[in-house]
Amino acid sequence: MSVERLDAAAAQDHLEMVKRILAESQQRLCSGGEHFVVWGIGSAYITVLFQLVHGGLLRPAAAWSVPIVIAACAAFSIIRGRQTRRVLQRGSLLQREFFNVLWLTLGLAFVVDVAVFNIFPGLASAAIWSVAEAIVLLYIGMHGNRRAQIAGVLVVVSLVVANFASPGIAGYVLAAGMLVGYGGFGASELLARE
Amino acid sequence: MDELLLSKVRLGVVAELLNFDWIAFSELARSLDVSNGNLGAHLSKLVDAGYVEEEKSFVNRRPLSRYRLKKRGREAFASHVAELQSLLKATP
Repeated sequence: MSVERLDAAAAQDHLEMVKRILAESQQRLCSGGEHFVVWGIGSAYITVLFQLVHGGLLRPAAAWSVPIVIAACAAFSIIRGRQTRRVLQRGSLLQREFFNVLWLTLGLAFVVDVAVFNIFPGLASAAIWSVAEAIVLLYIGMHGNRRAQIAGVLVVVSLVVANFASPGIAGYVLAAGMLVGYGGFGASELLARE
Repeated sequence: MDELLLSKVRLGVVAELLNFDWIAFSELARSLDVSNGNLGAHLSKLVDAGYVEEEKSFVNRRPLSRYRLKKRGREAFASHVAELQSLLKATP
């Protein structure tokens, strides 16, 4: 078809179609609640573990279960992510950006836990997970998810409260924030999906 | 003006893909309300021109095709829409 064969009426029609399609292509962030439940439980476990080691109730060798738990959570996310991707009909650019943020944040937290433990010893290492989870939740919250906003604030509050709590319970406070904030957000997403 | 995008279906495909990482064939057909055969022919032209990338796989033993807009297609779309707008402005 040549340029001459597209008249003004057809051009108008084409532009209106483009406008309609773009207006309908609202970017919705589908966060996948099950991932949050798994990572919320996993990170809370790690934090409680650090607290128990810190309190002398467990031997430091128990910390070797941390990479195993993280690897299990990561394996779940990868497998479940692939399954979900097969069922989905569309994958938004926003969704891809979210996964980049998610993996970068959790990946950095993993590196801190495994390789930066001299700078972030004990509970500091666990608190890094709270920071990572707060970033992820607040990122989702920025895109209009009110539950994620509340959950992100909950995790931040748990960080602040843990900072002023006695050393004997600080880890439990952090773990509660992860479980209620991160895991709880995932559960609420799953319930909303039902 | 981009000759390939003078087709309303092909322009619609590119517009659909613009804000998405990828879209499945069946979803494109449903969204644009075109037959599978018609859409397949248009998509082939877009793939051949390097505007769109095709990814074929099997899910539960059923073939699944997904499409993704390439940089070349994104650029062609932007300039084509700009020219459509110029055409309208130039029309009394």
